[in-house]
Amino acid sequence: MTNFQRLFDRGSRRVLGPIVGPVWTDKISLSMKGFGKTTDLFIATWMGRVGLAIIVFFMALVVYADLFVPYDRNFSSTEILEDPSWEHPFGTDSIGRDVLTRTMHGTKASLTVGFVAMAISMGIGTGVGLISGYWGGWRDEVIMRFNDVFLSIPWLVLMLVIAAVFESRTLLTVIIIIGATGWSWTARIVRSQVLSLKTRQFIERAKAIGAGDMHILKKHVFPNVVPLVFANAILTIAIAILSESTLSFLHLGPQDVETWGRVLEDAYVASAAMAGPYTFIIMPGLCIVAVVLGFTFVGYAMDEVLNPKLRRR
Amino acid sequence: MASLRKVLGKRIFNAFLAILLIMLINFLLFRLLPGDPARLMTPRLPGDAADAMYERNVELMGLDESIPVQLYKYFISTFMLDWGESYRHELPVTEVVANSILWTVLLLGASSIVTFVVGIILGKLAAARRGKPTDIAITGFGLFFYGMPIFWFAIVLMIVFAVWVDVFPVSGYMDHGRSPEFTLDAIGNILWHMALPVATLGIGSLAGIILIQRNSLVDVLTEDYIVTAYAKGLSEKQVMKKHATPNARLPVVTTIAMDIAFILGGAFQVEYVFTYKGIGWMTIDAIGNYDFPVLQFIVLIGGVAVVIANLVADIVLVMLDPRVTIT
Repeated sequence: MTNFQRLFDRGSRRVLGPIVGPVWTDKISLSMKGFGKTTDLFIATWMGRVGLAIIVFFMALVVYADLFVPYDRNFSSTEILEDPSWEHPFGTDSIGRDVLTRTMHGTKASLTVGFVAMAISMGIGTGVGLISGYWGGWRDEVIMRFNDVFLSIPWLVLMLVIAAVFESRTLLTVIIIIGATGWSWTARIVRSQVLSLKTRQFIERAKAIGAGDMHILKKHVFPNVVPLVFANAILTIAIAILSESTLSFLHLGPQDVETWGRVLEDAYVASAAMAGPYTFIIMPGLCIVAVVLGFTFVGYAMDEVLNPKLRRR
Repeated sequence: MASLRKVLGKRIFNAFLAILLIMLINFLLFRLLPGDPARLMTPRLPGDAADAMYERNVELMGLDESIPVQLYKYFISTFMLDWGESYRHELPVTEVVANSILWTVLLLGASSIVTFVVGIILGKLAAARRGKPTDIAITGFGLFFYGMPIFWFAIVLMIVFAVWVDVFPVSGYMDHGRSPEFTLDAIGNILWHMALPVATLGIGSLAGIILIQRNSLVDVLTEDYIVTAYAKGLSEKQVMKKHATPNARLPVVTTIAMDIAFILGGAFQVEYVFTYKGIGWMTIDAIGNYDFPVLQFIVLIGGVAVVIANLVADIVLVMLDPRVTIT
C-alpha cells in the first residue's frame, strides 16, 4: 500500500479533519472505503500511470512556470523568427519574443479552459440527463430533441459561429462557449444510466417507503451516476483543451491571455511552417498532444476501473 | 411489418423536427447572442459615414423588426428556398457555396472511406489480440491521433511532405490557375493535391472507429455463445467472422453516422491549413468578413446533412437488427 492510498484509507480523518471538521471526516472515510482498491487498479494500468505523470508534470509547470521561464513576459529581442539556439531553445516569434517563454505561459490558460469548461459541461449535462431520464415523458421528449440537434450541428461549426458573433472574446467567453456547446454527450450518457437505474429494485423500494423525488435523485440516483460522470469529465477536459486550441488557431480564441492555440495561430500566420523556425509550430503543438493524451489516458483507465463489466476481460 | 413502419415513421418525424430546431437555433444564434451583427458588419470609420452604414445594415438584415416577425420571415424564406444573399460577394448564398461544396464532399468522401476501412480493420485486429502488444499498439496509436489537434497534424504533414521532402503541393485543390475538367491529367492533379488533406483527415479521425469496433467486439467475445462456438470446435477465424462480427456491427454503424459530424469539423481545419477552398475554408473566410448569411446557410446545410446521415444510419440499424425498437 502506497502512502497515497494510506492517506485515503485510514488517515483521511487526520489529514482532512482540520479542513472539513470532525463530522464530515466520518462521511468522507466512509465514502472513501473502496478507494484503496480503486487506486490499486488504476495504477495497475499503464495508461493510468503515464497519463497521471503527464498531468502532474504540466500542473507543476503551471505552478512553477514563473520560476523557470527564461525571459520576461514582455521581453522581445531584435532577432525575429530565429531558429532554436541556446538562448532561445524553441526559437523566437515574429516580433522577437521567446517561444519557450510563451509556451510555458500558455500552459496555465490552456489547462484553465480544460477544467472550467469541463465543470460547465458536466454541470449542464448531468442536470439535463437526470431530469430527462428520471421524469421522462414530455420533458424527456423535449430535451432529447434539443440534444439531437446539438449533436447534429457539427460541433466545430457551432463553436466557430458562436465565437464569431462575439466582438471581443476574453478567456471567460471562450470557456463558456466551449462549456455550453459540449454537454450533449454527457446528458445522453447520464440519461441512459438513469433509465436503467430507475428500473432497479432499490429505487422502487425507496419509492414504496414514501421517499420524495428529490430525495431519491440525491441519495440513490446521483451517487450511481457519479463514476460514469467522472470518467466522462476527464475525457471532456481533453476535448475542451483541443477545442480552445482549434478556436484560437482559427483566430477566434481569447484575446486577453496567452494560450497554446494562440502561439500556434501566430506561428501559422508567420509562415513558420514554410520557413521555420519549425519549433515555433512543433513544440506548442506537442504540448497540446501531451496534455490531451494525458487526460485521455487517465479517462480511459478510469473507465476501465470504474466499469466492472470491462474488468473481467 | 406494421411496427417496423411505425419505428421508421417516428425516426423520420424526429429528423424533420430536428431540422426545424436547427433552423430555430440558427436564427437565435445571430439575433440573441450578445454582439450586434449590424455593428460587426460596419467598418470602423470616423464620423457620420459609419453611422449611415450602420443604419443601412440594420435595415438590410431586417433587424429593425421585432424578433417574432423576424423569426416568421426567416422560416418562410427558408422554406421558400430563399436563403439570403452574401454580404461580401453580393450573390445568393447558394451560388457562393455551390462553388466550393463539391470539393468538400470529395475530401470528406475520400477521407471517410480511409477512416472507416482502416479503422474497422485495425479495431478487429485489436479485439482479436486483446491485451497483447498488438492491441496496446493499435489502441495507443488511435488515442495518440485522438489527442492531436487535426490542424496541427496537417501542419506537421505539410512540413514533412511538402517542405522538407517536396513531393506534395502545399496548398489548393489544383495547380494555380487551372480549372477542373475531365481529363486524365486534371484528375491526376486533383488527386495529387488531395493526398495530404485526405491523409490528415483519414488518419486524424481514426481513433473513434478503432475504439468502438474494438470495444464492441470485445463485449461480444465475452458472451457465452462465443464460448459455445469455440467448444463446437470452430476455428478463431470462423468464430470472428460468423459469430462475433455480425453482433458487434450495430454500435459501429451508429458511430459512423456520429463520426461524420466530427470529420466535417476536421475538414474545416484541414481546408484552412492547406488553403483547400471548400466549405470549411469558405466558412473561416466568411467569419473574417462577418458574412452572416453565408454562415447561417453553412450551419443549416451542415446540420441537415448530419441529421440525414443519422436517419440513414437508423434505417440501416433497423434493417440489420430486428431487435432494435424505439426508445
